[in-house]
Amino acid sequence: MIGGDADRVGAPAAAGIGLRAPHVHEVIDTRPPTAWLEVHAENYLGGGPALRSLDQLRPSYPISLHAVGLSLGTADGPNPRHLERLAALIGRVEPVLVSEHLSWSIAGGVYFNHLLPLPYTDESLALLCRNVDQTQIALGRQILIENPSSYLRFRDSPIPEPEFLAELARRTGCGLLCDVNNIYVSAHNLGFDAMVYVDALPRASVGEIHVAGHARNDADGLTILIDDHGSRVSPDVWQLYAHALSRFGPVATLVEWDTDIPTLDTLLAEACVADGLLYGARLRTSHAAIA
Amino acid sequence: MPPLREMQATFCDALLGGPVDPAVMHVLGDGLTPEARVDIYRHHVFTTLTAALQATFPVVCRLVHERFFGYAADQYIRAHPPTGPCLFEYGSSFPAFLAGFEPCRPLQYLPDVAQLEWALNVATHADEKVPLDLAKISRLPVEDLPRLTLRLDPSVSLLTSAWPIAQIWRANQLDADANARVDLASGGVFLEVRRLGDDAVFRPLDPAPHAFRSALSRQCCLAEATGAAFESDNAFDLPQALRDLFAERLAVDYGMSSLDPTA
Repeated sequence: MIGGDADRVGAPAAAGIGLRAPHVHEVIDTRPPTAWLEVHAENYLGGGPALRSLDQLRPSYPISLHAVGLSLGTADGPNPRHLERLAALIGRVEPVLVSEHLSWSIAGGVYFNHLLPLPYTDESLALLCRNVDQTQIALGRQILIENPSSYLRFRDSPIPEPEFLAELARRTGCGLLCDVNNIYVSAHNLGFDAMVYVDALPRASVGEIHVAGHARNDADGLTILIDDHGSRVSPDVWQLYAHALSRFGPVATLVEWDTDIPTLDTLLAEACVADGLLYGARLRTSHAAIA
Repeated sequence: MPPLREMQATFCDALLGGPVDPAVMHVLGDGLTPEARVDIYRHHVFTTLTAALQATFPVVCRLVHERFFGYAADQYIRAHPPTGPCLFEYGSSFPAFLAGFEPCRPLQYLPDVAQLEWALNVATHADEKVPLDLAKISRLPVEDLPRLTLRLDPSVSLLTSAWPIAQIWRANQLDADANARVDLASGGVFLEVRRLGDDAVFRPLDPAPHAFRSALSRQCCLAEATGAAFESDNAFDLPQALRDLFAERLAVDYGMSSLDPTA
């Protein structure tokens, strides 16, 4: 087991932005006031200008690497070559956080490049624990595991997702990345209470929060929320975020925007909203400490 | 519930257009059909991969129109789903797929344009290597030079086409002159693609230097590469070709072929 609170360095408990290709030059040139940056690790496993841009930004910003392709829920286990490449990237970038998802994306050698759903069973839990252990050993550090956005439930999935994540964190020492938008989207699509979900996550394990926008799609007369990261964070998600902060205290928070990417200023304005709510959470924490 | 490995295999089949029943029988409908819920994931997978192909092959997309590109991408993804985790590494076999794709047959230049776009993608993401110092080669015994092999910069690709693919590519850039016309009968090209600074670039080469560099990139030794160049043009200037190669910082490593080129 690797990890535990003693190993957690983490990102600053402030708002950061997901750095996407259209903004890279502007961020390098203008160094906007954002507390930290997160990038998708798999976009930086090659060489060339992408990697050089991270080298340029590292002195100015803490960097978080968000992996999307390890497929920790795959029965075959993580690909050793992928772990090697990720470890080399971590050695070069020295990120403050490394994260992945509670999902799978590889089967029989096919990579779907999408976060596919898992049934939450004892078998899945044992597998996830094994794969997270293997990953943390290969990378030599703690990783955070993010709750997925869900569009279906399996018939046989007896362990509630937050309990599954809590047990995974307890057994492996991994941290948790609480994606508030994913909780909101899944709660709507699968019919559970988002606040109850947040309250069931183990407070001490949450090392990062994600917020993002989602879309509403009509499917045979039923509204399905799609986690498309293509718009502003909805008021309901900000409300759930505020609730998460009241439970977890001030935690490093990332604004993600991946489709219909707006101007950098619009993205930074969303991060300012998160910073405002984080400020409130910090005040509450210090008041609680004084009282 | 079947073992996880089996569930994932059935889900995989359903996502790629195979039978859906084995996957959906374990899924709850919750107000929709289980098929519709699995279909949300299938839709996301295809949308993501199609967007990745569009990003790598924007000129092909422009040439065939976005809707037709979506159809070709859908067929390609089913037949050749990704085998690695990085989206920028997906699509190496798309040019060959297009060459055999019946609806594209009238556009004979299309696979070569796709090959150019793939080479530009490779150049963009290639590892950075330190150029080989010519002094290291100069110290080798002269009698060893015929067996010398040179590893070229990993961003380099050497392409040939019977079509004017460089002109086609340029005419389909966003800032191109909308009235520009490409004469498809204007002949083929010998191209070298590589990264310079942050940019993936290409330029035409004369046939002999192109044959020389192509042979070197296939790890042929200097004697074989020179032979290939002379086949193309018997006025090939070997010393100049070597000077150019090092001046352009194209070689990154060297070795010795075990073959005897004089045998």
